[in-house]
Amino acid sequence: MVKSNTSALGILFPNTYDALVPELVNVRLMASIPFASRYRMIDFILSSMANCGIDNISVMVNNNYHSLMDHLGSGREWDLVRKNGGLNIFPPFAEKNSKLYTGRVDAMASILDFLRSQKEKYVVIADTNIAVNFDFNAMIQDHIESGADVTSAYNVQEFPESFLRNLSNDKGFYYTFSIDNGRITKIYVNTKETGVQNFGMNIHVIDRELLIDLVNTAFVRGQQYFERDILLPQLNRLHVHAYKYDGYVARISGMKSYFDENMKLLDDYNLDALFSGSPIYTKIRDDNPTRYIEGAKVENVMVADGCIIEGTVENSILFRGVKVERGAVVKNCILMQDTVIQSGAQIEYLITDKNVLVSHGKEMRGTDTFPVYIAKGHTI
Amino acid sequence: MAKEMIAMLLAGGQGSRLYALTQKLAKPAVPFGGKYRIIDFPLSNCVNSGIDTVGILTQYQPLVLNEYIGNGQPWDLDRLYGGVHVLPPYQQASGSDWYKGTANAIYQNLSFIERYDPQYVIILSGDQICKQDYSDFLKFHKEKGAEFSVAVMEVPWDEASRFGLMVTDANDRITEFQEKPKNPKSNLASMGIYIFNWDILKKYLTEDEADPNSENDFGNNIIPNLLRDNREMYAYHFSGYWKDVGTISSLWEANMEVLDPEHSGINLFDNDWKIYSRNSGMTGHKISAGAVVENSMITDGCRIKGTVKHSILFAGVKVEKGAVIEDAVIMGGTVVKSGAVVRHCIVAENVTIGEDAVVGAMPSEGENGVATIGAGVVIGDNAKIGPKAMVSKNVEGGEEQW
Repeated sequence: MVKSNTSALGILFPNTYDALVPELVNVRLMASIPFASRYRMIDFILSSMANCGIDNISVMVNNNYHSLMDHLGSGREWDLVRKNGGLNIFPPFAEKNSKLYTGRVDAMASILDFLRSQKEKYVVIADTNIAVNFDFNAMIQDHIESGADVTSAYNVQEFPESFLRNLSNDKGFYYTFSIDNGRITKIYVNTKETGVQNFGMNIHVIDRELLIDLVNTAFVRGQQYFERDILLPQLNRLHVHAYKYDGYVARISGMKSYFDENMKLLDDYNLDALFSGSPIYTKIRDDNPTRYIEGAKVENVMVADGCIIEGTVENSILFRGVKVERGAVVKNCILMQDTVIQSGAQIEYLITDKNVLVSHGKEMRGTDTFPVYIAKGHTI
Repeated sequence: MAKEMIAMLLAGGQGSRLYALTQKLAKPAVPFGGKYRIIDFPLSNCVNSGIDTVGILTQYQPLVLNEYIGNGQPWDLDRLYGGVHVLPPYQQASGSDWYKGTANAIYQNLSFIERYDPQYVIILSGDQICKQDYSDFLKFHKEKGAEFSVAVMEVPWDEASRFGLMVTDANDRITEFQEKPKNPKSNLASMGIYIFNWDILKKYLTEDEADPNSENDFGNNIIPNLLRDNREMYAYHFSGYWKDVGTISSLWEANMEVLDPEHSGINLFDNDWKIYSRNSGMTGHKISAGAVVENSMITDGCRIKGTVKHSILFAGVKVEKGAVIEDAVIMGGTVVKSGAVVRHCIVAENVTIGEDAVVGAMPSEGENGVATIGAGVVIGDNAKIGPKAMVSKNVEGGEEQW
């Protein structure tokens, strides 16, 4: 693949929407939530950027970020070990009055000096709660051609009900757009309207100089949120261009949607839609191939390397190193890394976090509308 | 700063007995065990044994191998001082030479070893499947006060005459070396893995090079010369899994043994002795409703809609609905179309097997072979490939090849 000379740097916000999946982020953050049998959520945006030649990427970690640091390492798997640029991780700066970032504005305000010293013309900012195989070059090109100040990506989709239920103004914001002739004319914050809408993906392209200027001004005024406090009030003054994304979008908006978005990938059509573009990279574990032993019965599953399957597994997603022993029955489950289902256990509609053990003969069932979640390291 | 021990890995073997598999590939780069290549084993052994400097001597079809090794990062061999180095024959002021033999290959790279000034050099072979702790071997070498040690395996007496044999005394000291003898005096077969004291290696390689009658081979020349001079030579007994995968049938067999670690002794599921490899980066594999998978190893990127029994599938293999795969080794990127039957064979990378084609057959009276399909070959619909066939060119639909 030819990397263009993209003159853009990336800024990622790995903690955004943590509040939507409180169980999953108990020991991690949105960006490091395991997804699609061998990935973490951040892999998708990060790989997409790297594949588009964006090789100067800053990750604004806020809290619970040990798992993300471990996952990213030096950034080698994404080819982001660079002398110029590469992967930068920016935790909240520890000074006397330091506090965690509350929004994108104070997070970016803390790296203004860094932003000033960079050479890229554009900045791409994004969250990590969506799994996409995104062509940033197409978006940047569109941004340049439209002559806009800011370009914001959106997709058209049925509004996920879990957003309405889970999000309130004290937990975070989501945005929908009114668009006129390619220009965003109105931004709605936490709308309660349902149905098909122009759903903001929180991916923006903006000139670096303009971003520095906007963030600086907003920060001085004590404003916190890029979309709500910078874009929304200035829609008349700033040309905010809408970039429609037609590709596959898996958006995590709650436990149920986490379950559903994983399960959707059991359909080849969806799997190809998400993965057939550029490659998605992730941390390598050097597991051996998965072994199916005599007696294994598997149907409609996606399985990563390092598993040993001796029992029955149907309609499930298995992450690396899962063991399903003889006589165990697993149906409609998501089993994260190194889960062990011992012989004779029967489970259905379960999401097991890493290193869960379901012991001999135990039975446990959730339902399709309410998958049961078992926290990291627990034994049933 | 001197290194205690560095490794020199002989990876120039043409692997001519692997025919269709080594047309464009050096033998050490031949895929093995679902996601590995043969060379992953000695490289991983090195790293797991604490050896951080490895010279890989290449010669034949080195492109794939060179790219695969790269900077050595997958094996943790990207080091500031040391690490992995691919050493092809090169042009010198006095002209360039192909490596004439195993000893000459090391001789031509004496200056590479010199840079690290090691106490010991371990010579490894790039065509064996083996998990071995070289640090234990070195410990033995030091305890015996040896100048040269060779790793040996006990083999059945009736097969001993196929090997290079070490005759030893009660103290494991080597008293005689027999190369494929008619009347074996020992059943200790050389594994082709040696530890030399660096000064001894240098001395004997230099002398060997000066001898115009020498074949420049470790087995035929260096070891006999060491014996002649009554050097301190010892045999280190190794009892783990070891397999020379130099032939189609032994390669197939070793792959099948991976499926049965409880009995064969080759366990790839060993967190304390991982075998590292360059990963495919594909998504998790998928097994569709209606597919049958039994007693098999499957890795990332595979899509299984048909039946897979007792087989090893490498990354990105697609098995369409109604296809049957049994007792087979199917390498990366190969597509088996619907209705095809693939049995008891090795299919190399990126092969297409057409609809309702038949490749190979289970062994029966008088018919016992491992059909082999070379990389990139297209087998047409309804074609038939016999159990002894060695296919390296496309086979048209409906044709037969035996």
